[in-house]
Amino acid sequence: MSASIPNVIEMEGVSKRFGTVQALLDVTLGVPEGCFHGLVGPGASGKSVLVRLAAGLYRPDSGSIRVLGEDIVRLGQVEQQRVRSRIGMLFQGTALFDYMTVGENVAFPLRRLTDMPEQEIRDRVSERLARVGLAGFEERDPGSLSGGQRKRVGIARATIAHQPLIIYDDPTAGLDPVTASKIFEILREEQLAAGATVLAVSSDVDSLVKYVDRIALVERGAMRYHGPLEEAYRASDPFVSAFLRGEWRAA
Amino acid sequence: MRPGEAVLFPVRAVGRAFTDIAFQAGGILILALGIARRFFPPDIDVRELKRHLFSMGNRSVMVVAFSCFFVGVTMVVQATILVQELGAYSLVGWGSAYVVLRELGPVFVALMFSGRVGANNTADLATMVITEQVDGLRALGIDPISFLIVPRVIAMVVMCFILTIIGDAVALGGSAIMADTMLDIDIHVFWKGVHDFIKFKDMWLGLEKSVAFGSIIAMSSCFYGLNVEGGAPGVGRAVNASVVSSAVGIFIADYIMAFMLG
Repeated sequence: MSASIPNVIEMEGVSKRFGTVQALLDVTLGVPEGCFHGLVGPGASGKSVLVRLAAGLYRPDSGSIRVLGEDIVRLGQVEQQRVRSRIGMLFQGTALFDYMTVGENVAFPLRRLTDMPEQEIRDRVSERLARVGLAGFEERDPGSLSGGQRKRVGIARATIAHQPLIIYDDPTAGLDPVTASKIFEILREEQLAAGATVLAVSSDVDSLVKYVDRIALVERGAMRYHGPLEEAYRASDPFVSAFLRGEWRAA
Repeated sequence: MRPGEAVLFPVRAVGRAFTDIAFQAGGILILALGIARRFFPPDIDVRELKRHLFSMGNRSVMVVAFSCFFVGVTMVVQATILVQELGAYSLVGWGSAYVVLRELGPVFVALMFSGRVGANNTADLATMVITEQVDGLRALGIDPISFLIVPRVIAMVVMCFILTIIGDAVALGGSAIMADTMLDIDIHVFWKGVHDFIKFKDMWLGLEKSVAFGSIIAMSSCFYGLNVEGGAPGVGRAVNASVVSSAVGIFIADYIMAFMLG
């Protein structure tokens, strides 16, 4: 990516430990503006910890993290909330609120964070749900949806406020390959339409690499590669190309 | 077990119990301070507050009324022999009201409220933590304490107060009916006993207790819900810990308030 494009997420020397487990060690990562950035790695390698650090949900033990131009590690609670409100996030388990309908879930960020008129919110919700293939699902209960449909509702909620940065934490976890592929298509279409920057974690490397511009690979808490996707296959570290080609197997 | 370990075992157990209690008491205190901070300036989600007031009241009112009716009834049944032996018919109303308003009403309603609403609140919050809904709020830039906890705490304190008034009234109604049925005490005589001997202070003490008990249940249920660990099995453990600590807190607070407020 050209040096003139600023990074929306910029991590330098970030480490994070939970008790005796070193989740991340001296990780450096840059996610350029407008980029669809993938983040892959074997299970329990620190991917979710990394995106939670980027979203300001965890504090690093050391290192600096700049998100949307702000040093979120040094910000106070209120300022952190302000930065987070500019980030859309989809969690592995979708994190939909069970006591709200699908429509209320999707509308939630707008109702809480903006003064948008109610009719405009409803129109926006209908448009978002149609966009993810769930037109007319406004009054449905999230508990009555399939895993794939819940993910789509989560995507609609993560993108409704047109935040400049969207983080997806394993959006296809637990889904069949066809549904997973469809979800990635939706994410890519959304990203292109909105021009947002996306950081997507996935265990489904085969599907993810079809859609990303850049990729990062973490293994046992260490960054093994981050850069353009096409260069990853020619990386000097043999683990990187082996992992991306699906030739790597856990010992 | 080696001989040295046998000696150290109870010491370690006591030490662990103390550190657990210190952790829980400290955690509840920090949560309470965090909640207090949200009142300056007030940062309360009114929509959530209304929802919790309705659901908590609606969920508990029948079970509280039903239970309190039997508390009132049983009290007269237990007192029947003594009242007949002493001929103290005119004091039945006073005795029932004194015990219900000052002690049994608030304590019994609080225990029912803890089992019904407190347990549900802990399970609800713990599930939200496990399913990343709380992180979802934080990721949206929404303060979980303001949005989730403050409305629940207010609703629980208010509903515990209101339910105590309802519970007291129903328990006294039950006593009056039973006194009429078993002891042939006219309902007017029963109420005269209440009216002549019961002071406003007696009722007020019970209502003060209900506010304290509601606060204890709210803090305990929210603390254990937010600090759940260990996935789905952890929800059960959190509910259990919440109900037990609420009950212990209610009895300790009852003892302290009985001493301090008379």
